[in-house]
Amino acid sequence: MTRSRASTVLLTILSAAFLVTGCSSQDQNIAARGEKVLYLFNWNNYIAPKTVKQFEQSCNCRLSQDYYADNEEMLAKLAAGASGHDLIIPTGNAMSTLIHQGVLRPLDKTLLPNLKNINPSHLNNAFDPGNKYSVPYAYTVTLLGFNQQKIIELGLPTDSWSLIFEPKYLKKIKGRVTVLDSQRELMAAALKYLGYSANDANELHWQEARNLILRAKPYWAAFSNTSYVKELAVGNLWVAHGYSNDMFQAALDAKKTGRKFIIDYSIPREGAVLALDSLVIHQSGTHPELAHQFITFMLDGRNSAELTNLTGSGNPNMSAVQFIQPEIIDNKAIFPDQELFTRLEMIQDLDRTQRRRLSRLWTEIKLRNL
Amino acid sequence: MIRNGAKENRVTKWLVSGPPLVFLLVFFVTPSLIMLFTSLRFPGEFGGLAPIISPTEAAQGEHGLTLETYQLFFSDILYAEVFLKSFIVASTSTLICLIMAYPLALLIARSEKRFRNLMVLLVVLPFASNFLIRIYAWMIILGPESVFSHFINGVLSAFGVAPVTLLFSPFAVIVGMVYVYLPFMVLPLYTNLEKHDPALLDAAQDLGANAWQRFWHVTWPLSLPGVFSGSVLVFIPVLGMFAVPDILGGTGDILIGNLIKDQFLGTRDWPFGSTLSIMLTLAVLAITALSTWLARPASITKG
Amino acid sequence: MRRRNIWLCSAAALAYAFLYIPLIIVVVYSFNDSKLNAEWVSFTLSWYVALFNNQEMLTAARNSLIIAVCASFCATILGSMAGLAMNRYKLKFLPILVFAPVAMPEILLGVALLLFFLQVLNLTLGMFSIIIAHTTFCIGFVAIIVRARLQGMDESIFEAARDLGASPWLTFRLITLPLIMPAVVAGALMSFTLSIDDFVITFFTKGVGEPVLPVQIYTMIKVAVTPEVNAVSTLLMLLTLTMIIIATKLDSGVLRLETKK
Repeated sequence: MTRSRASTVLLTILSAAFLVTGCSSQDQNIAARGEKVLYLFNWNNYIAPKTVKQFEQSCNCRLSQDYYADNEEMLAKLAAGASGHDLIIPTGNAMSTLIHQGVLRPLDKTLLPNLKNINPSHLNNAFDPGNKYSVPYAYTVTLLGFNQQKIIELGLPTDSWSLIFEPKYLKKIKGRVTVLDSQRELMAAALKYLGYSANDANELHWQEARNLILRAKPYWAAFSNTSYVKELAVGNLWVAHGYSNDMFQAALDAKKTGRKFIIDYSIPREGAVLALDSLVIHQSGTHPELAHQFITFMLDGRNSAELTNLTGSGNPNMSAVQFIQPEIIDNKAIFPDQELFTRLEMIQDLDRTQRRRLSRLWTEIKLRNL
Repeated sequence: MIRNGAKENRVTKWLVSGPPLVFLLVFFVTPSLIMLFTSLRFPGEFGGLAPIISPTEAAQGEHGLTLETYQLFFSDILYAEVFLKSFIVASTSTLICLIMAYPLALLIARSEKRFRNLMVLLVVLPFASNFLIRIYAWMIILGPESVFSHFINGVLSAFGVAPVTLLFSPFAVIVGMVYVYLPFMVLPLYTNLEKHDPALLDAAQDLGANAWQRFWHVTWPLSLPGVFSGSVLVFIPVLGMFAVPDILGGTGDILIGNLIKDQFLGTRDWPFGSTLSIMLTLAVLAITALSTWLARPASITKG
Repeated sequence: MRRRNIWLCSAAALAYAFLYIPLIIVVVYSFNDSKLNAEWVSFTLSWYVALFNNQEMLTAARNSLIIAVCASFCATILGSMAGLAMNRYKLKFLPILVFAPVAMPEILLGVALLLFFLQVLNLTLGMFSIIIAHTTFCIGFVAIIVRARLQGMDESIFEAARDLGASPWLTFRLITLPLIMPAVVAGALMSFTLSIDDFVITFFTKGVGEPVLPVQIYTMIKVAVTPEVNAVSTLLMLLTLTMIIIATKLDSGVLRLETKK
């Protein structure tokens, strides 16, 4: 009995070992072929699979992706000292954190001839003046998504944050609304509605925002960062505070599954948050030239358009416009016009005392009622 | 203990306890000490990391040590409320797990031997699928238009109670918690119940004990170690869980797990996150110590 | 006795139903021709086709299986030893060491281990670091369940063996091990499911360019829930079941969840 058990255990280990060696030999094959591997730290589904294939063919290398679900996860991991990624695609404030930490490699603009493709209004922002480190990749807007039929039926406004903050509207959609489970995003929406900047850190204004949120909270179903996409498309939710690319997804899903309603989304007239994601090169990466090559590849209008067509993200690349599906390019919530664009604001990092204050306020918001 | 075996005993003792001890000292205690140290530091200006002290940094005195996170924790009733709330959720989940798991474990333990393996496997198998996708399945079941919701509200309205929403509620959180941790209650219970000698029950029956008496005076006291460890394995992880309240919870469902996660992945306040975790670990150890102490006499009386 | 069994059976049946109803949804929707896990549209295998064309996902599944097998193997051995030691030697600090990792929020353990690996050990992150991390948080679970099995057991049988001149090793192999085997196997199963599912600790301790399943799925779900995840979950369950069945067929002693009498 003991012998046969020992043999089974051995067998298990051996087969595991075989699998491991099988894996390493695969890597050796790549090494033997002299193939380089470019490591990209990215959101999942934030580059079209087709684009990956084309890039791999053009550079005779392999693109290996690691994923994060949130900027903060990526920052925390890097902050602890994780290394080895050539490229990262952080959002504005996370990128500014990385710049301040001094972990990014300045771009060699001579290697990026088609940087001129980027719309100047997305260049030279406060996070990276002169774009020393970053090349805009894509953007999303935080806005309101809604079930069009229901909203019309109930006679509710769709162009204002009042839809998620005013009890007179909320009482008609009680329990069918979610807001983002994000301290900064929800505060930004509330501050915008109150007429302040999304980055306002004035204690009194925060208290005002807190009261506004607490007054509306009983009508909300939940704080949700992900599930609203599906719940909107299914019809369980009627209004959701969320990201434009998620709303695009929800609208598409609702359409594909033949729902009797349409999911629509719009940017509130009080203004909203713009999240610009950029390509940056991390210092610990070992292939800076290849990273530049990738950026150049992604700056190409056709490649850049693939992402927008896939995910409905905003595109800062002017030469991509002609390759983007017309219904996306015509959507004001994804490609806001000049006038609307000026009312968008990017979120800036708070300092550590402000962060602690906000965290406490957030706990209070979750825990208490007015 | 046999006298002449004393030395051998000592060798065996360290052979048995040595490896896990060393492993945990290296891979658990050392990292924990790092975090203990972190709790005494200031959060970094960009990204809440308080970098581990390096000699040069220490020499510059750039980051001093502070007790401010502890001060913050104890000076604000808010955090105590979150703790209290989490303990209530954890106790409720544990109790429901116990009520659901006990008959199941007992049934498996009393089934024919050839079915037992299969029955235990059936308990564990769902947990080879992805955790999040199972929680999302619960979203479907508890959703406002689901069959289950309609059924519950149908029953409620028959009694004249206003309809309830199941999803995004404390109820959904408890359901999710129970679902995720049920096997952790079943397995220890089963491994304990399985070793009971059926002769004891027969003897009790011969003495005229009815089914309930046999359970209450024989099976239950004997199973207490299993009940205890199952409860520990459910109660403790529930306290740190954040995904279930995130996905299934409503606007008020914040537990310690969420609070701690927020400190690391939101506020970037590692020192305060560490402090909260230390407080949680201390509270948990205190509770387990207390319940071990309470459970002890019961397991000894068995003999 | 009979009547009691009926109560027991129905209570247990309810518990099984509770465990399996969500699972049925997971499996059924993996064959559903709709991107939304919402209602039945029509039968399709396209999610499985998509899955098998997704090299990254397959590699991730293989990596995670290896990690789960190795981590649960190490955790089971170390955890069983800890459980035995806790029961027999009454070391005061051992229970604290065993309970604390279970109590420690995973995010903290993840960050702490990452700091430790990188800044103290100067380790290159990879499968190895994930296996160590998973072993660390699984040990406690195994130890607690093994101790529960041993508690209240008659010590005299160990003494009898020693009196008969059996060496500690022989006593262990012939008496202790068979006695604790169900708990050991249960602990191994528990570690396996913990390891295959853990996102937070895995995220922090994984290396560059090595996809692992929980991270793959978690980040994917954050974008949109796709039935591909249902498909991979279904396959993983099948695979686990097959692995267990094969192991049992090879040696019926491997998976002994009942006391050998």
